[in-house]
Formats: sequence, structure tokens, C-alpha cells
Amino acid sequence: MTVEGWVIAAGVRRLSGMVSAVRGMGGGVTVAAVGPRSVAEAAAAAGPDAVAWIEAAEDVPAEAYAPALRRALAAAKPRAVLATTAPQDRALLGVAAVALGAVVIPGILRMWLEDDTVVIDRTELGGRVVETLASVAPVAGLFVGEDIASPAAAAASAPIERLDAGSPADIRIEKAEPVSGANTGVTSAERVVAVGRGLKAKADLALVEGLAAALRAEVGCSMPIADDRGWVAKERYIGRSGQHISPRLYVAIGISGAPQHLDGVRDAKVVVAINADPGAPIFRRADYGIVGDLYEVIPALQAALGEDQSRNSGKGEQS
Amino acid sequence: MKIVVVFKWARDPEDAAVRSDGSVDWRGAKMAAGEDDPAAVAVGRGVATASGCSVVGLTIGDGDASWALARGVEQVVAVPGAPSLADNAATADLLAAAIRWIGEVDVVVIGDAEAYLGVPAALAGVLGWPAVLGVSAATFADGRLVATRRIGDREQTVSLGLPAVLAVAAASAEKQLPGMKEVLAARKRPITTVALADLGLGLLDGLESRGTRVPEAGSARIFEGSPASTARQLVAALRADGVL
Repeated sequence: MTVEGWVIAAGVRRLSGMVSAVRGMGGGVTVAAVGPRSVAEAAAAAGPDAVAWIEAAEDVPAEAYAPALRRALAAAKPRAVLATTAPQDRALLGVAAVALGAVVIPGILRMWLEDDTVVIDRTELGGRVVETLASVAPVAGLFVGEDIASPAAAAASAPIERLDAGSPADIRIEKAEPVSGANTGVTSAERVVAVGRGLKAKADLALVEGLAAALRAEVGCSMPIADDRGWVAKERYIGRSGQHISPRLYVAIGISGAPQHLDGVRDAKVVVAINADPGAPIFRRADYGIVGDLYEVIPALQAALGEDQSRNSGKGEQS
Repeated sequence: MKIVVVFKWARDPEDAAVRSDGSVDWRGAKMAAGEDDPAAVAVGRGVATASGCSVVGLTIGDGDASWALARGVEQVVAVPGAPSLADNAATADLLAAAIRWIGEVDVVVIGDAEAYLGVPAALAGVLGWPAVLGVSAATFADGRLVATRRIGDREQTVSLGLPAVLAVAAASAEKQLPGMKEVLAARKRPITTVALADLGLGLLDGLESRGTRVPEAGSARIFEGSPASTARQLVAALRADGVL
């Protein structure tokens, strides 16, 4: 037995990961793309069978098109819908859930079908446990699982069907401007070194800055360092309500890894954690870890980088 | 016209103990103020001042109902005994029923809690109201709510008509805890208790939990040895990955 599933997207993040997760139920996948044509095209390239496109006017945010989405879902009646945790996607998912009579589950990692039951694995308690849940009702889930690469460009794009956008709800975009801090470079940097409460004094920032310089990285921090302590400019705070970054290398030093911080580095490629507490949640998100005192590890790391540089200087820079 | 600020509506995941077999012990965990609740109260009060409305705090479960009173909310409605549910839509049903019970509500402000990201969206869905989530600040002007939030690397200001739901994500920790004066003043403010049964809900958590487990030891490779040795191993790994 297989069942249909939908993905709801107002943006282009994690599309392929969500399409793949819905495929776990064995049936067809439709992406409801709400936004400009570019969102529909990105959705079509993410590997679904079809894209249902609701075009958004330039000054109207995606969630205002909830009524059109509700009509489409009430007609299609998929057994599961997934969306990212982005505010617009979530608002649309809430409307979809009500249209379908679905349970709403955050933290979805993967899903599959057993007889007529949708079974999901979800992350809970800030990543400390994984819970398996079974639902006979439709499931509306917020996806936080692995993203995957889009199918090869050679693969045919899914057909895009344009839906009637209807009259949107009364929400208008009054103003949109780049967030302050876009100019610090931390949001666009290839490498970011961030520091958290493990740092004992403001003067010790020099240590972190030295490492960042050696890595040609931007410096970021967790919320308390910018907020409570004011040691680093607010524009460099990384987290859910701060900067969202997607560097190739992210080095988290003395950062425990609170969920709101991890939300800001969800799209980082390689994550390195340096922390004195082996139980720190950051190690669950990391690719590489060193358990130790940052005051010992950073100088050692700088020395090792120096050795590496002199070894590789003859071969030319790799990046 | 009333503004409802929902607070202490979820258990704090930090209060849960994870046993070595991956099972979870929630004993002693109460409905706690989330890290976004103080910001939600501040936004609710700000909108109330700008619009000349009253603010009603709403809490469910067994949290401290006077928490919002000490933060300037004039009155609180509490639904004690409300269960904590895995299904965010069921939690939203419960909150929506309490909001309807309060009546004549035009704006609901709720903390956009990281661990319960589905609740504000489902709440707006159940109420059938437009919603803006991930809001960092909001006010009220010319009969409309004006909210600021972040979409990607842009800061967006949106305006919306009433009724509406705003979910507030805190940009910083609570700056100023209430002093003794505020706590004492809170004791004089009213708390109205509503029995769960009076909300007329057939509360069913439509989910079956098959249990929890400790996540598979992630892909993290933890380097062992002296600082110098671990540092060299790390640099070699990063070099091999092509990120240096």
C-alpha cells in the first residue's frame, strides 16, 4: 500500500530532503509552491511528481495564500504534508493541518507507512532523544531531517500546474530590507568560528579572533555572548532570531548547542565542536569534535594549522 | 477588543530526564515559561497600549498563573489540569477553546517556542485567523498590526488586519526580572480558573508513541589524545574534506 504526500514550500530550503522524506511512504509526491515562479521551479527540480504553484504577489507574503492552499489540500487529501520550520512555511502547514484533520508534529526526521498507519521518527528534547510515533490520522510535520542533493539536472523536471491564487488574506509586506549584519560578512562567509559561554573573559576573544584569522573565517557567537555579555556585536549572533548561516565550515567553541542556536547553523556543511562537556548537545550536530578546554585546544589548533599551511604552501591554496 | 497572551503552555524540555535506555522521565516537569514567553508578554502589552485594549494572560496546565501578572498583564485565565500532548494540533485545539471561552479576542500573541514550533501555526489554523510567525517586534497602527520578522537574510515588516495570531521569537533573554513590588502587585490581580471539562473538548492525542531512544551516535568523529594530537587530527580531517 502506498499513499500520497505533499510538501508545502514558500522558500527553496530543504526541498529535496522533504520530497525524499515523503517518498518514504512509497507513494506520489506533490509540492505546493507558494511564491514567485522561482520557488515553483526549484520545487519542480527537487524530484516530486508534480508541483502545484500558487503565485504570490510581490507585496503579499506567502501565508496570505492559506485559503487557496486549504482548497487544494482539501481536494487532494494527502495522508502527510511536510514543511520546513521557516515562519511562512509553518503558517501554511498549520492551515493545511486543519484542512486535513491532521496531527501536527515538529522535528520530523523520516516517515514510512505500515499497513494504513503513518509512522514517523522525530527528534525531541533538543535532540536528546528520537521518538517513533504512529498515526492513523493524516500527519502534518515540520521537517528537520537531512537535506539531500537535488536529483541530477538531467532528470526531467516535474510539471508545474498553476492554481487559482484566489483572494489572499489581509496581510501586506510594508517593507523588506537586508538584515543589519549582512555586511559583517558572517552570513555569507565560507568559514565561521563562533564562541559561546565557554569563554571566560572578553579579553580572551583575541584567542578566538586569532584562530578565525588563521582559518580566514568570520567570527560569530551564541546569543549570551552578544546579549548578556555584549562582548561581540549583536549582528554576529548566530541563532534562530539572529543570523542564519550556511558556511562550508563552522567551528563552535564553548557553545553547548541550544536548539535555538542550532537553528541558525542548520545549513552549515562541516561542523566542528570544541567543548569541555562531552555531553554537550553540539556534539550531536557536529561532524568532528574535540572534548577539551578551549584555552588549550585553540592554541594547539593554531599550531596545527600553521604546520598544515607550511606543508601545503607549495601546493597552492585549495580554496 | 481583547489581546490574549498565551504563556506557560508547554513543558520545558530541559526539565525532562533521559534515562540510559532512551526513555524519558517527565516527572516534576511543569508547564514552564518558555524562553520566548517574556518577549510575547512584551509584544502583547505593547500592542495593547498602542490600541487601547486590555490584555488577558492565558495559561494551561499546572504552571504558575501569576507569572504574567508580575509582568504587567492585568488578568489571567488558567486551565489547570490540561495535559501535555505530543500532537501540537491537540494543544492548539485546547488553546483555541480557551480563547473562545474568553471571548471577544482580536489578537493572540504566543511565544514561538523552539520545541513546539507547530502550535502557533495550528492555533491560527483552528481559529481560522491569519498568522505571522517568528515575529521579533510588533505594534498597532491605523487599525492594523505591524510586525517585524526575518525571512532568509531580509528583515520584513508586514501589516495585517484583525483578528490575527502573532508568534514571537525572543531576540534576547529576559532583561529585567520582576521585583518584589511587581510580585506583590500581581497577587492583587485576578486569576480566573476554567475547568478543562467546561471547554467542551474531546481531547484525544491521536498519536501512539512507540517509545523514545537515544539517537544513534551521530556521525560525529570525536578525536582522542592530547590537545596537540587532537588538533592535528582535526586539521588533517578538514584538509581531507577540502574545507580548509
